[in-house]
Amino acid sequence: MVGFLEGLLVTLKTAFRKPVTLQYPEPDKRHQVAQRYMGFPALLWDGDVPEPYCTGCMVCVRACPTQCMSAQMTDNPKFESEESRRRKIIETFEINLGRCILCGICVDVCNFDAIEMSHEHELSKYQRNGNRVDLDMLLDMGRNYQDDTGWRPTNPSKNSGVPVKKDEGKGTPRRRPARARPASPSTEEEETSSNVATAIAEPEGTDPSGQNPVSDC
Amino acid sequence: MTLLQVVYYTLGAAALFGFLSLVVLVLTWAERKALARIQMRMGPMRVGLHGTLQPIADGIKLFTKEDILPSWADRRVYWLAPVAVFVPALLLWVTLPMARDLVLRNLELGLFYITAISVLSVMGLVMAGWGSANKYAMIGGLRAAGQLVSYEIPFIMAIVAVAMLAQSLDITKVVDAQANFGYALIQPVGLFLFLTAGLAELGRTPFDIHHAESEVVGGPFVEYSGAHWAAFFLAEYLNTFTVAALTVLLFLGGWRWPAMPFDGLAHSTLSLAWFLVKTALVIWLIFWIRGTFPRLRIDQLMSFGWKLLVPLSFLNIIATAVVLFYGWPLWGLTIISLLLLGGTVYVIFKNPGTDMRRETVSVISARDLRRNPTVDAADA
Repeated sequence: MVGFLEGLLVTLKTAFRKPVTLQYPEPDKRHQVAQRYMGFPALLWDGDVPEPYCTGCMVCVRACPTQCMSAQMTDNPKFESEESRRRKIIETFEINLGRCILCGICVDVCNFDAIEMSHEHELSKYQRNGNRVDLDMLLDMGRNYQDDTGWRPTNPSKNSGVPVKKDEGKGTPRRRPARARPASPSTEEEETSSNVATAIAEPEGTDPSGQNPVSDC
Repeated sequence: MTLLQVVYYTLGAAALFGFLSLVVLVLTWAERKALARIQMRMGPMRVGLHGTLQPIADGIKLFTKEDILPSWADRRVYWLAPVAVFVPALLLWVTLPMARDLVLRNLELGLFYITAISVLSVMGLVMAGWGSANKYAMIGGLRAAGQLVSYEIPFIMAIVAVAMLAQSLDITKVVDAQANFGYALIQPVGLFLFLTAGLAELGRTPFDIHHAESEVVGGPFVEYSGAHWAAFFLAEYLNTFTVAALTVLLFLGGWRWPAMPFDGLAHSTLSLAWFLVKTALVIWLIFWIRGTFPRLRIDQLMSFGWKLLVPLSFLNIIATAVVLFYGWPLWGLTIISLLLLGGTVYVIFKNPGTDMRRETVSVISARDLRRNPTVDAADA
């Protein structure tokens, strides 16, 4: 009998406890993920230029174990008008989030701080292809991530798209400011197929095979 | 019967039906909410404020569902079974008063009528089990028959003891006899018997073996869907309300006890509210028990009913009869009743007389065997 009453007492106590349920889909009531949470990859936005960090170099696309990404690079018009240091820029980028296994290899291989595991983690969509996100959505995801976490580039001197002024660049002898370079001599076909690692505008004197082509400013 | 009477009863029956439908809707919502709170969930929250419109959404869903007839089903029996369950549940309310004169027709033999009608729903369950042409349904129907028939005895005997105290089968008179004290005070055993047997009659946890989802996958209701399943569902909740109301009327003083202030209309309204509040408390108790205890095994259920509740109900009647015959004070009955209850608790938990010897196997860990193999092997 004591056991029966104990059982009733337990359920009575829990009945007056606060429910543990979160009213999930409502934005202000959902559970917040931790800062270190690794969600789906997203493309980051260089607010200084402004343009994406991504140059479309395809390293992540080739490293992806599930082939969930595809990317295409193009000439950067801002490079022509000397607003940016990036010679190439991403044109289209698509990730099939349903295929992504959240391994983070794309982030590890990226040379340009361009991709990061964001806080996005929800796969339920209304369309059949709703999980194939395009460049705009990836950048939105990235911007949300940057706003949430106060993300800073790991290598700002190398990966910032801000053109280096001539006088400021004198501190780094191995590097010439991007705008001092003449317009790209090669044709468009050659550029798209040129070495992806040099997609960002680099000084011609740099050893192309060097591991660290740019010294810190 | 005059025309006026016909109009009166028709309107009254319609109003009663409307009220009971409303009660059933509220109960489905309240049960989900109560169970959710016991499990620290929130229950339905989406439809309406805190899910209050959820029963209506459920109703729309149920009544727009396809009604499936199994190809081997016994057609007439299959379609008739929900009616056979639902109609008795509704008929009970002809004579159940919610306040003085707030009753469709107060019968002189009200309690007799209730015991007679409440057994009828068994037939509906057996019909459902038979008509479905399904093994699970058949087993569930037979379980329902066995369970309801055996628990009908203590249920009726508890009612008989109350009728002996009140010297009447008229429910209004039973309630009036409790003006000074509820019968729960002088017959705790009666209350225990009535609630336990009532739970079994309802087929609610812990006595829900006839539609045990994990054993007979819904029992007699397996094959039903849509509106016909809804009829069973409505009857079940209606019966829950009925048993709670009967508990209040027979043991907790109905609308009389404790006494209400005011006169006239205010008193009537207040007594109705008092009755409904007490009923709600009993219903909460039923939900609470459902949220706490697991289901009994069928042999446990049967031995609990026949070996404990049935003898106890007869002892209860004998005690009541002795006290009434010799004109002993009623608090004497309270003491006897409490003693009986204590004896019941002793029987349930100490289990005297059945000294079971349990065969136990002593397990020797492999490590012990390794250390001293000869000795341990000899011991074992």
